[in-house]
Amino acid sequence: MSSILKASNVTKKFKGLVAVDDLDFDMKDNTIHSLIGPNGAGKTTTVNLITGVHDLTSGSVEFDGKIISGLPTYKIARSGIGRTFQNIKIFSSMTVLENIMVGGHEQAKLGLVRGVFDFKASKAEEKKLREKAEEILNKIGMYELKDKLMKNLPYGRQKISEIGRAMMNDPILILLDEPAAGLNPSERAELIQVITKTHREGFSYFLIEHNMDVVMNISDYITVLNFGRKIAEGTPKEVQNNEEVIKAYLGNKYVTKKKVSGEV
Amino acid sequence: MTKKMKIRIAEIIILLIALLVVPLFVKNNYYLLVFNRILINAIVVLGLNFITGLTGQMNLGMAGIFALGAYASALITRYANISPWVGLLLAIAVGWVIGQCLGYPSLRVKGVYLSLTTIGFAEVIRLMFSNLTDITGGTQGMRNIEPYSLFGFKFDTQGKMYYLFFVITAFGFFIAWRIVYSKWGRVFKSLRDNAEAVEMSGVDIADVKIKAFTICAIYGAVAGALYAHFMGYINPSTFTIDMSTNFVIMLLIGGLGSVIGNIFGAIIVTILPEMLRFLDDYYLITFSIIVLLGAIFFPNGWVDAVVRLGKKTINIISDKRAENGKAVSR
Ligand SMILES: Nc1ncnc2c1ncn2[C@@H]1O[C@H](COP(=O)(O)OP(=O)(O)OP(=O)(O)O)[C@@H](O)[C@H]1O
Ligand SMILES: [Mg+2]
Repeated sequence: MSSILKASNVTKKFKGLVAVDDLDFDMKDNTIHSLIGPNGAGKTTTVNLITGVHDLTSGSVEFDGKIISGLPTYKIARSGIGRTFQNIKIFSSMTVLENIMVGGHEQAKLGLVRGVFDFKASKAEEKKLREKAEEILNKIGMYELKDKLMKNLPYGRQKISEIGRAMMNDPILILLDEPAAGLNPSERAELIQVITKTHREGFSYFLIEHNMDVVMNISDYITVLNFGRKIAEGTPKEVQNNEEVIKAYLGNKYVTKKKVSGEV
Repeated sequence: MTKKMKIRIAEIIILLIALLVVPLFVKNNYYLLVFNRILINAIVVLGLNFITGLTGQMNLGMAGIFALGAYASALITRYANISPWVGLLLAIAVGWVIGQCLGYPSLRVKGVYLSLTTIGFAEVIRLMFSNLTDITGGTQGMRNIEPYSLFGFKFDTQGKMYYLFFVITAFGFFIAWRIVYSKWGRVFKSLRDNAEAVEMSGVDIADVKIKAFTICAIYGAVAGALYAHFMGYINPSTFTIDMSTNFVIMLLIGGLGSVIGNIFGAIIVTILPEMLRFLDDYYLITFSIIVLLGAIFFPNGWVDAVVRLGKKTINIISDKRAENGKAVSR
């Protein structure tokens, strides 16, 4: 399998604090790769480094065979990476459909001046964009909500809508930063369904998640961070039984009690 | 076309016709002068809508942009001795340049600081024109600025100017409408709600913000140029923070983001003080109180409030009808 996202010696220092410390990982194409770790481990920072929100202190990130570290966020997004946010970032005063359509702004190529005077082209383009957005809304099970204002939706729906918005740009990789946080069990089940279904249709996912049900069930591979350092990686099974991981999550005393199965 | 769009277009056509027949009935020069001011103000508000309305950045420097347009056009017409139409083109160019220049700090400076930056900008412009006495006449202002003319036809009365400004404003309205209700308007609006999410959608937000500022500044400068040749006289003391604030009030009263609202905002805020003139010393405070109450009770603008009220009454009436219908069928 070829690699889709590769971090090499990625380090980020905030003043004195080393948030991400010499991190290496190699995510394979067409997989769901999870990044887990306790609070403050540096997971969100890693995603911010991948997407160019923060500059790397050292190291590099390679996506689809090209170095992307150093590029501005919008160029990284254009190269085929979508993202959702831990602290939800939506356009709350706009409708659900509009929210999704903003995600496809760059897909519509018509310039501002031509858009004003070329009625036909702008109409055709808008239609294409709208149909694509509707198709995506169908995919994430939100078509019926398309004309609702985003701010009137329940939190869970708002979060899932971010995935839809990301999909508008035809990414091959989507980074999900704690998509299940704050969701109730039924929303969570729906989220898992959306992720697995769209994964089968070709999206690769880089997933940050605290909910171990979600992580262990859908990940192909897991990287574990603690205090910015990678402490383990492997398949869900391997990670679950890793002593370092158990120590990081549960504290030293549990390590002697032999294996902890199921939830970590 | 959706039903909503059809209703909107019908509204616009009615508005256009009503505005077009105005001078036929109004022979009073003073009223026509007020109408012309409305048209010019409307152009400014249509532009301001892109910055303060859609992308949600407070621009309190519109008077500076307006002044630059006015002086650019008046000066070139005077000293190069050419047609005011060339002045208008120059104003567009000036607007473009200001947009690029003002847009840049807006990438770094946010919120209150951006408001202060725009105020500072407008003050610098005003002081510059006050102090370039040799060229601009300083605080004495510039007099006898030539009116527009077309193929020998001079737009030298308020009635004639009304038609000219009407056409230009309608064109400005058309462009604003097309942009606001396109993917560009959508992306401007989304920027107000969450810039990071827009950027993660692959949008070069710096470029988009500068675009919004440029549209805004072109509208402001064009309106300024029209103003110079409409008044025939300009003076730096006109282009104060009061003027900038007034433009923002028009925008707020019309409702942020709404193109039709822009026009109504310009109408209301231009006419209201004129109607309150009989209050003499108290007119300004009355005006301010009305505006303040409006801001508190109709935060989405007066137009929105009226539309809501209309919808409510229609609903109540149709509910009553439905009830009556039920009663009868029983
Ligand atoms: N912009 C910033 N400036 C300074 N310090 C930061 C910044 N962003 C994150 N940090 C610090 O870096 C460390 C890692 O934070 P990060 O948000 O990446 O953790 P996380 O693994 O996502 O945690 P959580 O599970 O709580 O989301 C924390 O100590 C945090 O305080
Ligand atoms: Mg985080």
